[in-house]
Amino acid sequence: MPRTEELGGIPRKQLNIFYVLDTSGSMDGVPIATLNRTMSETISSVKQLVEKTADALVKISVLLFNSSCQWVQPKGAERLEDFIWEDVKAGGMTEMGLALKELNSKMSRKGFIESDIGSYLPVIIIMTDGRPTDEPDEALEEIKKNKWFTKAVKIGFALGPCADVNLLEKIVQDSEAVIKTDSLETFARLFKKATVNSIVMQGQSRTTADVVTGKGIVNEIMGGDGDDPYGFSDDDDLFGLGDDSDVFEFGDDSEYGYD
Amino acid sequence: MEGKFKKGKQIQTINGKTVVVEEWLAEGGQGDIYRILYGGEEKALKWYKLGKMGKTPKAFYENLKNNVLKGAPSDAFLWPLDITSWEENSFGYIMDLRPEEYHEMTEFMLAKVRFKSYRIAVDAALNIVNAYRILHNQGYSYQDLNDGNFFINPENGKVLICDNDNVAPDNVETGMLGKPRYMAPEIVKGKGKIKPNYYSDLFSMSVIIFILFCLNHPLEGKRFLVPALTPARQEVLYGTKPLFIMDEDDKSNGPDPVIHRNSILVWECLPGYMKDIFLKAFSQTAMEKPGTRPREKDWLDVLVRFRNDIVRCRCGNDVFVSEEGPCTCEKCGKKLHIPYRVQFDSYSIPAFPGNRIYRVQLGICDEAKVLACIAGMGVSKKDPSILRLVNLSSKSWNVTNREGKLVKIRPQEAIRIKDGINLEISTEIGTETVKIIRNDAAK
Repeated sequence: MPRTEELGGIPRKQLNIFYVLDTSGSMDGVPIATLNRTMSETISSVKQLVEKTADALVKISVLLFNSSCQWVQPKGAERLEDFIWEDVKAGGMTEMGLALKELNSKMSRKGFIESDIGSYLPVIIIMTDGRPTDEPDEALEEIKKNKWFTKAVKIGFALGPCADVNLLEKIVQDSEAVIKTDSLETFARLFKKATVNSIVMQGQSRTTADVVTGKGIVNEIMGGDGDDPYGFSDDDDLFGLGDDSDVFEFGDDSEYGYD
Repeated sequence: MEGKFKKGKQIQTINGKTVVVEEWLAEGGQGDIYRILYGGEEKALKWYKLGKMGKTPKAFYENLKNNVLKGAPSDAFLWPLDITSWEENSFGYIMDLRPEEYHEMTEFMLAKVRFKSYRIAVDAALNIVNAYRILHNQGYSYQDLNDGNFFINPENGKVLICDNDNVAPDNVETGMLGKPRYMAPEIVKGKGKIKPNYYSDLFSMSVIIFILFCLNHPLEGKRFLVPALTPARQEVLYGTKPLFIMDEDDKSNGPDPVIHRNSILVWECLPGYMKDIFLKAFSQTAMEKPGTRPREKDWLDVLVRFRNDIVRCRCGNDVFVSEEGPCTCEKCGKKLHIPYRVQFDSYSIPAFPGNRIYRVQLGICDEAKVLACIAGMGVSKKDPSILRLVNLSSKSWNVTNREGKLVKIRPQEAIRIKDGINLEISTEIGTETVKIIRNDAAK
């Protein structure tokens, strides 16, 4: 028999969580400090959670945007266990279109969703406290062609009265998947919950056959009836064979096909 | 993170006792776990989140209350001991705290904790199957069997089963469907219309056993390696077209040499009877017809045999010893010294220190006695080259040697293991005969 120490861990699908965070000038002061503490606490909480989950290998990618945008880990998504949040500063404009363009460029297997084992549908948590200072429509139309993006579980956070709620609703493609709050304390609490629930939902025992959605997670964390974190999916196996989308290219998929 | 209750919070139970919250321990999918004082003793409290008490919380509460009154099926269950009154539209139940030496099954799956030996992994599987057999035979089903239900001691394979909140009389709905990847195909395909029951428990249990041994999910072969595991793909993999990673007829979901290395390594070492039961449990027939799935007794029969067929070489390696004769350790190359075997009705096991005869190997038996040790094998203290069989049962054995001489072996007494010995072992039902044979005379 093989020795027990010869065996490695069970193969796990990757669960990519993309944070897209507004660090523009209007976030300066208490808001950016709150964001720093929230990210730091969220990561530390979910580390304990994922240490013992065999359902998925959780990876984190953080995109910060202001007058420009930058990935916290430019080389690719980082395992949550290894991720350490380093405080960021606020300043500059709110170039949301630029952020969407950058997100689009990395939401692929050649980008940050690279994995031999494959992935669950990614999670995108996007936060802004203002209105875009660029024209994001074109970037939004472009990213909607990316199936990783359209099929992702998306949650928006509109922080403060100046946040462009309409734009967030368009990005997350569901008006009920956007959390609007003027309270930094509420933001901190719900942001953490959104991350935790995004991870837990993947492997949680279920009472319905429906699938996890951003709206479901928002309902859950907003203290809805809590029994409906899943919504109906019109998933028609878009990730299947013969898909020749440039952005969503699967190479040698055919050998795994069943159709 | 922390739960809603602060230290010192008091809650009443239906038995008139008071729970005093000491510390928040963890958050689960359904609720928070606290360390509490209950009648002065340290226990755990699981407090439900709103909306996490099934579809009809009142019925969920009543079912749990009935389980409390009924008591644990066996000591392998971390069973609800008491239940609180309703408070702010929720409630909790009290159970024992998990002892420190027990680890979550997921820690084994991630290879963060390892069994002391392969044989201990088999012991863990035996304990799991036996616990579910007792539960099922009392007319209950578990309904949400998954990798989050078990605490296992890596040193001895003892198991504690937690999350017993969905246990209900078989075919009674709790509103629970189960955890993705562990639900039986009919539940996945049923999309909420077909509810878990005894047969779906059997499927989920087979998944757990395969994972314990092979550290791979039995349905996650090459087909699992799709770039995006969408809900639609999951439905195919686990519901409409499930295919065993080791299926002998259809290799399209076979193991990838790198990603599924664990299952390749283990599978080639498994004895034929273990492969057979896995092939049966995950055959297309068993996936489609729940009634054809191996029962717990089928699993116990092969697992006790498997346990005894794994012997420890002096180099520390666990070696599977077949009936086919001399056996060599694949790690150090040395031949294992196994002069005798213990012959049952249809198969034999090597006579080797540490091996046992379980009650289940001696014909029909009482539920609670399945894994009772009837005999143990060890070496003589005076002369370690002498192998002995100790009577660990409560009844005397009639033992006849090759010359026909009859002796009585009382409980705790031992005989030297020699060729040609016949043991008549009395059970609560009758008498079973077991023979000692030379290793080269085995079937």
